[in-house]
Amino acid sequence: MSTTVPSASFVEVPETLLKKRKQNEKVREERLAAQVEAKKQRKTKREVIYKRAEAYTKEYLDAEREDIRLKRDARKDGNYYVSAQPKVFFVIRIKGISKIAPKPRKIMQLLRLRQINNGVFVKVTKATEQMLRLIEPYITYGEPNLKTVRELIYKRGYGKVDKQRIPLTDNHTIEKALGKHDILCMEDLVHEIATTGPAFKQAANFLWPFKLSNPNGGWRTRKFKHYVLGGDFGNRETNINALVRQMN
Amino acid sequence: MASRPTVQVRGGEGSSSLPLPAVFTAPIRLDVVQQVHKSIAKNRRQAYSVNVKAGHQTSAESWGTGRAVARIPRVGGGGTHRSGQAAFGNMCRGGRMFAPTKTWRRWHIKVNQNQRRFAVVSALAASALPGLVLARGHRIEEIEEVPLVIPSTAEGFKKTKEAVELLKSLNAYTDVVKVSNSRKLRAGRGKMRNRRHRQRRGPLIVYNEDNGIVHAFRNLPGVEIANVRRLNLLQLAPGGHLGRFIIWTESAFALLDEVFGTQDKVSLHKKDYYLPTAKISNPDVTRLINSSEIQAVVRPAGEKTQRRPWTQRKNPLVNRAILYRLNPYAKVIRKEETARQNKTGHVHTQLPAKTHEAGEAFINTLFAP
Repeated sequence: MSTTVPSASFVEVPETLLKKRKQNEKVREERLAAQVEAKKQRKTKREVIYKRAEAYTKEYLDAEREDIRLKRDARKDGNYYVSAQPKVFFVIRIKGISKIAPKPRKIMQLLRLRQINNGVFVKVTKATEQMLRLIEPYITYGEPNLKTVRELIYKRGYGKVDKQRIPLTDNHTIEKALGKHDILCMEDLVHEIATTGPAFKQAANFLWPFKLSNPNGGWRTRKFKHYVLGGDFGNRETNINALVRQMN
Repeated sequence: MASRPTVQVRGGEGSSSLPLPAVFTAPIRLDVVQQVHKSIAKNRRQAYSVNVKAGHQTSAESWGTGRAVARIPRVGGGGTHRSGQAAFGNMCRGGRMFAPTKTWRRWHIKVNQNQRRFAVVSALAASALPGLVLARGHRIEEIEEVPLVIPSTAEGFKKTKEAVELLKSLNAYTDVVKVSNSRKLRAGRGKMRNRRHRQRRGPLIVYNEDNGIVHAFRNLPGVEIANVRRLNLLQLAPGGHLGRFIIWTESAFALLDEVFGTQDKVSLHKKDYYLPTAKISNPDVTRLINSSEIQAVVRPAGEKTQRRPWTQRKNPLVNRAILYRLNPYAKVIRKEETARQNKTGHVHTQLPAKTHEAGEAFINTLFAP
């Protein structure tokens, strides 16, 4: 009867274990190499982002000064300069969920305004203008300035990733979703929205509809009159910025 | 299998060996064994039912509405407690039960012949794996080899003493001891229904020719004896659990290839029967996965447990670190802005936090006696 327990030196290492060890070594080396590579890439990307942000700041400033210059020039000659019509609106849903007729209901669904105090960026075209006209009694909208766009995206920006609402805590999220449109970071996203770029549709759609609070300081006495008549709905042009300051 | 591994004959003088029969390499299918065992175990049942007339031996009729009683049929007549009592319903005292059990319930289940044979073959293959036999609870720590083969002379044993001696020499007697130690009274009514005791199962002795072996071994508690041509799944996998401890006689072991055939050779005792082929020819999945052929094309493994991303959202307009992470240029902007403000004297400092002193009334209440 051979029931002696063999010592450790007698027991052979099973082949699968040896193979596993070799495989693990290889995987580990590959992973470390990949890490080094990723770090380098991250560094170069960061530089790119920095440069872009710098360029954008200059661009925004230039655009502002240009507008002012043209106005001044025109006034000097006794002429009139009409600044360009807005290219993007920020639309906020004012009315709650109940008692909406089917057509306005559908339009608000299409614009992703499914909840009260939801806000979205909408490109201004003939088509979208007509849509907004139809749902005017239930929304307020206007031309957002750069600060509004930036604050909304930084504070309340969430992206649609895998159909989920993911907070924009890292440029990585944005790059993964919009990298193919050359949008790599928050600043790129802000730029694309504020100056409606070629990928505005994708950028705006990537942004989950903003969930704003009720305005700090309140609505006007009766919400559901047109803004012009002392209420809150409809096109309030640049006054939307003040409202967003209160709601953000 | 190019060359069959051999099995030594133990317990006798001289050492001969036999090649391993093909049955022991058959696929071990626990699902088949369990299903077949379940059905076959039902074949020993005896019918039971309640009396056909039970609960209906009254002429009860409902009194209908208007008598301030429930509308259940009530026993007619008078002069006894029974009159006016409810009858017939399963909820009534003395009524018929819900769904009275019938004798024509399907007591016996037919199982396909090939399935039955598959189960037997699987159970035999399982009996060759010491791990499974141990798991089933047999005390085989000391025996020399599994499957255990004894010389054919054992088929001529006439005395139980000889049988015990043989088992002891093989170190297989501990399994029998286990059985005799486990004999206990059954819990429940089975006690008064001719199933008074319960005990474990011991080894199964498989022989080729009975020259007294059955008489020799049959008095040992837990030991069962079977002819190799008629193997019973209920004995090979009791309870549907694989890995019965089987002790083969030499001639029975040699006969297995005839009884069950091999993958290519037809069985001589079961008409047109070949052993089943496995779905996967190399069942060592770990080895397959770790083979160089597969590892060469496999992508790197994911993490063992998914790490949750940082789930606390921080506001970049307030938290500077997050702001700089998102926009590295923001640092420059801030610096320029503060420099400009300092120049114009329009400094925007943090307001000092307001500290309040506790009011007098509060102090008085706090230190009130």
